[in-house]
Amino acid sequence: MNKISKKETIAMLLAGGQGNRLGKLTKTIAKPAVAFGGKYRIIDFPLSNCINSGIDTIGVLTQYQPLELNAYIGSGQPWDLDRLYGGVTILPPYVKGSLGEWYKGTANAIYQNMHFISLYEPTYVVILSGDHIYKANYQLMIEYHKEKKADCTIAVLDVPLQDASRFGIMNVKDDLRIYEFEEKPKEPKSTLASMGVYVFTWEKLKEYLEKDEKDKDSHNDFGKNIIPKMIVSKERVYAYPYKGYWKDVGTVKALWEANMDILDKDKGIDIDDYRWKIYSRNPVLPPQYIGEGAEIKNSFITEGCTVEGFVDHSILFPGVIVKKGARVVNSILMPRSRVEEEAVVEYSIIMEDLTVPKGIKVGEVPEIITDDEGITVYSEEEVNNG
Amino acid sequence: MDRVMGIILAYSDRAAMRELTKVRTLASLPVAGKYRIIDFLLSGFVNSGIYDISVITNNNYHSLMDHLESGKNWDLMRKTGGLRLLTPLSRADYFTGEYKGTLDALNRNLYSIKKSDAEYIILSGSSIVCNLDYGEVMEEHIKSKADLTALYTRSLNGGKTVPRGVGVLKTNKDGRIYDLYINEDDVKLQDVNWCLEIFIMKKSLLETLVADAVSVGMTDFYMDVVKRLAATLNMKGIEVTEQFFEISDVKGYMRANMNFLNEEYRRKAFKRPVFTKIKDSVPTLYREGCYVSNSLISDGCKIEGTVINSILSRGVRVEQGAFVTDSIIMQNTDIKQGANVRYVISDKNVIIREGREVTGHEKYTVLIEKSTIV
Repeated sequence: MNKISKKETIAMLLAGGQGNRLGKLTKTIAKPAVAFGGKYRIIDFPLSNCINSGIDTIGVLTQYQPLELNAYIGSGQPWDLDRLYGGVTILPPYVKGSLGEWYKGTANAIYQNMHFISLYEPTYVVILSGDHIYKANYQLMIEYHKEKKADCTIAVLDVPLQDASRFGIMNVKDDLRIYEFEEKPKEPKSTLASMGVYVFTWEKLKEYLEKDEKDKDSHNDFGKNIIPKMIVSKERVYAYPYKGYWKDVGTVKALWEANMDILDKDKGIDIDDYRWKIYSRNPVLPPQYIGEGAEIKNSFITEGCTVEGFVDHSILFPGVIVKKGARVVNSILMPRSRVEEEAVVEYSIIMEDLTVPKGIKVGEVPEIITDDEGITVYSEEEVNNG
Repeated sequence: MDRVMGIILAYSDRAAMRELTKVRTLASLPVAGKYRIIDFLLSGFVNSGIYDISVITNNNYHSLMDHLESGKNWDLMRKTGGLRLLTPLSRADYFTGEYKGTLDALNRNLYSIKKSDAEYIILSGSSIVCNLDYGEVMEEHIKSKADLTALYTRSLNGGKTVPRGVGVLKTNKDGRIYDLYINEDDVKLQDVNWCLEIFIMKKSLLETLVADAVSVGMTDFYMDVVKRLAATLNMKGIEVTEQFFEISDVKGYMRANMNFLNEEYRRKAFKRPVFTKIKDSVPTLYREGCYVSNSLISDGCKIEGTVINSILSRGVRVEQGAFVTDSIIMQNTDIKQGANVRYVISDKNVIIREGREVTGHEKYTVLIEKSTIV
């Protein structure tokens, strides 16, 4: 390959996750393809972060239900990632010699695509995952990585102590060098949680991936194997303190909350930032029509919607219809769903193309929202059964 | 439809759009919120399977170029055919300056038209907002063996006045065109065939007609081709039974826009997709205390005040206590707290300051020029 294709940094985006805690939402699509924030999908956030950070070469590793995700990414043009050199490349598992092989773990997925990374002869590789909502300038993280002369830099978020046992926790020295990594510790020693964003010096990563592959007991996972091994071997592993909004949208509750958070500028992510645009594949739909008698409060509504009813603290995706006398409160209406006359939708996620029939009430005001209850996801069967 | 080439004349000599076309050409005039007139025309071609399109510009085409870019958003970035933006070619010895008429415009771009291996041409103006399905009319044109087919409507501007300059076709009972005249005053004519400025013919015929007429110093396609040759050429009229709105003055512009608030019209207009430039705007945010009724709102707006019977383009902000009724508000207009805006067309990037009142009347729309601070 031509020298012009050499890149200082390339990104590898792990997008093969099934996200089974999202239940029906990921029955037919991969988690990164789940709709978010009115007109986006989760993967728009890491892709937009990359292009806004000046990273124009990205490998997207897909495995679970890749059809919709592959079609969505396409040539990468919506994110300005259709390039002569670099751009976005979808990397599914493939057949090698006589054997086909799935990606066994996050590290194995990268291992199997080392030849792709080598094409660009990068100095640094950024490893990202496709299930977090946040805005981050990876370039700043790479600068930090260089400054620390690090082999691996891990973005960390300062989380409340009571939440720390749900995350991978980094125990650091004063200079932020990591001396210990604990996955979901019962008694956390620190509150610095891994965000699943890593910068590696490529030479080092290559070495550890090859070693890890030979280790038959390894899960071939970054969090479980690669990073702990690097720390134990006294490699220079640093924590990069991230400030700002970050949310793992791995559960229905978290997904709902993250959606609601964007309605509150002080709490959530500011998606209306012209210096840090979130790009997405836009549907071809007319502007929204707000009819007589509509009442809308604190809601995001997008193209192709028609609203004639009451909408409060909700997010409407493209092509949603809310008829006269209908009430939609604290809910997320996925693309092309309909709420008919006098129907009520509360604390719910209504799936794509679903109609809530006339006069039907779905969802209720929960006392408390937990991972398992509070927010109901409605798909076809349930609404029709009452 | 791969034998058909579309040509759009992106300007109109008769358009009297006041400040609206000071910085842009007619085809790039914003309409129905986030669109430009040309979006409807291009979408009509693309939806009909026509992917070979030339857009002829005359002046002020900067905004049009900015809007169309590579044609990608209309699926017109093609190796074969695709979108071509033709700007006036000047040659010291021959052509200079702006076009002297439609024939001059076609003649000066004949070099490009000749290159296409299309068999048929559909020639369209830019003053009528339509997303036509050309499949049927194309079939009818071929079947009728007419040399030239002109599309017309019996229902222009919802039966209201039609401004001067619009062509009227006279046809006999077989649909053959035997004469054409130009509407000479702003009138309300009943029972006439309003020309839609859309003509279908063989490409070879267009090339000959243009070359012939230009060689004897003629300039106008209506008068010097359609009217002059009505007796010699077999020219047919085909009626399109839809409602059409033409835009050549501010009143017509207001009418064409406001009509999108009508559910029936909107449903028909958007039955087939209308493509436009993608701006990656965020969804529109409706804040506590806003009141919106009977309005068409594009993405990227932030609404805290009142919006009634209006059309908002992308990125419009209506602050608390601001009042917008019966108005067209273009991209990135800021309407500050307590401002009162009625019967207004506000061009792009306007700021209407706190408490200001800008009021027109049903019969007269106030127009605020691009980038003004009121």
